[in-house]
Order: sequence, then C-alpha cells, then structure tokens
Amino acid sequence: MTGWHLDDGTLRRYVGRTDSLAEGTSVEQHLLSCEQCRARVNPAVDVIDLAAVWARTRDAVEVPRPSVFERLLRVAGLPAHEARLVAVASAFRGVWLVGVAAVLAFAALAAAVGHARGLWFFLAVAPLAPCLVVAFSYDRRMDPALEPEMVTPYPALRLILLRTIAVLALALPAVLLLGLVVPGDAPFAWLLPAIGFVAVVLAASTWVSPLNAAMAVSAAWLTTVWLVATRSASPAAVLQARIQVAFLVLAAASFGIFLARRRHLRQLRPWR
Amino acid sequence: MTASISLRGVGRTFGATRALADVDLDLEPGVIGLLGPNGAGKTTLLRLLATALPPSQGQVRVLGRDPEAPAERTDIRRRLGYLPQEVGFPRGFTAFAFVDYIALLKEWTQPAARHAEVRRVLDQVGLSNLVTKRIRAMSGGQRRRVALAQALLGSPPVLILDEPTSGVDPEQRVTLRTVLAEIARTSIVVLSTHQTDDVAALCERVIVLDQGRVRYDGQVTELVRQAAGRVWLADQPDPAATVSWRTGTGRYRNVAAHARDGVEHVEPSLEDAYLLLRRGSPENDPAKEVAS
Repeated sequence: MTGWHLDDGTLRRYVGRTDSLAEGTSVEQHLLSCEQCRARVNPAVDVIDLAAVWARTRDAVEVPRPSVFERLLRVAGLPAHEARLVAVASAFRGVWLVGVAAVLAFAALAAAVGHARGLWFFLAVAPLAPCLVVAFSYDRRMDPALEPEMVTPYPALRLILLRTIAVLALALPAVLLLGLVVPGDAPFAWLLPAIGFVAVVLAASTWVSPLNAAMAVSAAWLTTVWLVATRSASPAAVLQARIQVAFLVLAAASFGIFLARRRHLRQLRPWR
Repeated sequence: MTASISLRGVGRTFGATRALADVDLDLEPGVIGLLGPNGAGKTTLLRLLATALPPSQGQVRVLGRDPEAPAERTDIRRRLGYLPQEVGFPRGFTAFAFVDYIALLKEWTQPAARHAEVRRVLDQVGLSNLVTKRIRAMSGGQRRRVALAQALLGSPPVLILDEPTSGVDPEQRVTLRTVLAEIARTSIVVLSTHQTDDVAALCERVIVLDQGRVRYDGQVTELVRQAAGRVWLADQPDPAATVSWRTGTGRYRNVAAHARDGVEHVEPSLEDAYLLLRRGSPENDPAKEVAS
C-alpha cells in the first residue's frame, strides 16, 4: 500500500458524481484497497432528506398542474394561492367560454365582411361578453361547492372581486383583438358600454343573482340596439361623445351602488 | 374561551314553514348524535351551528363567539369543519385538487404544509391511494369521503357533519367511527344520521328532533334503557305492539309503548328506543304499524 490517500476535492467529486469516468474508476480502485479512505466516504455524503424528496415526488404526481390562465395570473403578480382560487371560478372550466368566443368571432367576421348591419351585430354582442363572463364566474348556480366554500374564513367579497377582475383581464383583450378586424372606429365603441354593463351587473347582484342581472342587461341592450338599428341610424351613433359619457356615468354610478351595498351581495347571504 | 356551543331559544323559519322552534342546547367536546325523521330540522340545526344560516330567533354562541358579528363569524369559521348534506364538486377535479382548494379558502397558504395536511385528511378517510382520481369517476361512498376529508382539515375544535356515513360501506364506516372518536377527545363533533347503529357505536349523547323541536336530549344508554321490557319476539305481529316487523329468523320483533308481561323479552336496541320515542307516546301518534 502506498502512503497516498484521496484528497478532499477528489472525494467530494466522487460522492457528488461530478468526477470524470477515469477519475471515478481510479478512486474506486483505490477504495477497494484503502480502509482509511473507505471510512471517509460515508461522512462525505450529504445527508439526503428523504422525507423532502418523497414530498417533492408526491407533489409532482398529485398536485394538479396550474392551468395557462393560472400561470398568467401568477406572472401578473397574484400570489400563487390566490391565482389558484381565481382560476377555479367555474367560468374557466366550462365549455361556454368557447361558445362566447365563437359568437364574438362570428360577430367580428360579420362586421369585417361588410356593411352597417354587420357592424351593428358586432356592437350588439361585444359589450355583453364581459358582463356575461363575470356573471358566470361567480353565480351561485355555477358553483357546485358553494356550501363548504361559504363557511370558510376567506372573505367572499374579496373572492368575487378577484374573480371579476381576472375575468375582465381575460375577456377585454380577447374582444379587443377581435375588434381589430372590424373596420372604422367601431372596435372601440363597445369598450365603455362593456365596462358600464359589468358595473351594472355587480350593482344589480346586490338584489338579484348575477346571472339574472346579466341576462336582463343583455336583453335590454339587444332591444335597444335593434330599435336603433331599425331606425336606420349609423353604428357610429354609439361613438358620439354624449353617448360614451353616458356609459361612463352609468359605470361610475353602478360601481358606487355596488360598493355601498356590498354587504347585500347574493353570495354573502343569508348573513347581512 | 370555552370549548362549547350554546343555543338559547333558537328558531328558524323558511317563509311560513317552521323548521326549528325553541331549541336550547349546550354542547361540549364529544360526539353528539342527531336523530330524527326527514324534515325534523336536523340539517337546519347543523347549518345554524356551521354559520351557514342565521337563526330567525334566539341566540347562538359557538366557542363563546357570536356568529351574527362578521368578525366573530370569521373567527368561528377558522375553527370549524363542516360537511354539508350535499356537496357538489367542480368539474374535472381530483380528490387532492378539491381538498387542496378548500384548504386554500381555509387560509392554508404555505404549499408544503397545505399539501401535507391534504394528504393527512385524505389518508384519514381511507383515500390515500385515490388522491389523483377524478371525483366524477368515483363511487358515491368515495365522494362522500372526499367531502368529509375537507371538513377534517386542520383538526377543527368544532366538527359539524350532516350524514357523514351515507353511502359509505360498512368497513369504511368502522374506520370513520375510529377517526371521529379520536377527534372527539378534544373537539365537539355533531353528526346527523339515519343510522342508529352509528349513534350507538359512536355517541355518548343523542338528541332526537321531531318537527323542529327537541324530543330527547341525553345519554344513549338512558334512551335505550327506556325501552327495557317493551321489546319482545313472537311468531306473529302482536296487536298490542306499537311497531312490529319480521326479522331475518322469520319471527316478529314487537315494540310497545307499555311494558308487557308473559312474552319473550329481548335486549332493546337504540333503534327500538328511537321508534318508541317517535311513535310510542300515545299523545304523539297512536297509529300502529306492521311491516313485513
């Protein structure tokens, strides 16, 4: 036996498996004949936290992967646990989102191919999409696990507002992108009505269910558009400053009512 | 803070229907069984205790806190596990995903601790090998256990369970009884059930509700004792009995409001005592019933 022994660096590379093939073979040969170096191998190995490794392995198998939307929310700065809560909103889980997208795409196409009637169609449908999405995202009937959710300490109002903002963040850009294929200024005419309708749905849901509120708003808007269109007015009428200001006032007033009456939200009942 | 629940003069109406009336109760740690026919007010009482419903009259205090005050109500909810009678599950969720979601709402924000807790409760209800299974693909009993698992999160001092064993197979029921008995050493566990054998096996105290009122509140053994000498076997349904039914041996089990001599008496069960309480008192319902 020579008086040569493994130096600390070689031993570290060997146990960490960062050595080369030649070095590793040489070390193993040496270890076979050197008891002193063999005794140094075990203490050189870092203690592996098996419990932590096992927990990580189970997480990889059991914890559901975050959806694209959930990851986007995290990128936008929402904490991981709140991103999950928002993403669970039934609005993101139903096939109906595809339906809304299809209607909007159809409306945009109708507007792109042509004349005033197509534009009217786009203007009739586009402002309603965000408020319908919002209503779906937190209506009681869309939430099958409501009873256990309701008796948790998480503030219901916070959950509703988070879901509303998240839904808007998803719906507004989608409709805006579709609007780009529409000629003229009409792509932007729906923005203020859309925000106004979302605020009306929020305010109205302190009296009735969000879905009923959204359906009433939709019916009223579709009737108005139909009446104006049949009087052969131009779609540009909606772009008039006074009409746009009226929608802004509607949005502000409705949001004010919502904040004042937030304790009466249907989701927070029966407690007031 | 007292680890107790108290109700004073509590009533609840739904429109013209009175679901609960004049309920006075004090609940301490242990398993308390709630028995009663359909529509007796069991679910209403449990929803009141779980802060899912406010009372129309009277005063409720859970762990010394008033659920009418929003801050105190939130405080109660931090210490509460609740299994509703019916739980729906979001589409596409696995058992793990659902319990993890409720854990988030229960303020388990640290992922490692939350995941460990989710695994613990799923293990408690015997679902550790089904955590990645989609809930929609599960059997009724398995779904019930997923719903129960979310109630057990954080080992709450108050556990309100509405028919926890419905649809659960006998083997799992025995396991769940062991789990609940362990929790009840430090927590108040209130459970409603139609299974008198669950109550007999698990509860020291039983509350019998009928038409929104408390008909009996006391020890299970005392309720059973009241039926002593009033249960007997015979070859035919006995006209003197309040309730008779044909047993597996082909003989009839007779239960009567009044003690009877000269017959083959048998040890009364909680079910006998419950039936007597429901139908036995002449002023309540003298109608006799024979089932075969």
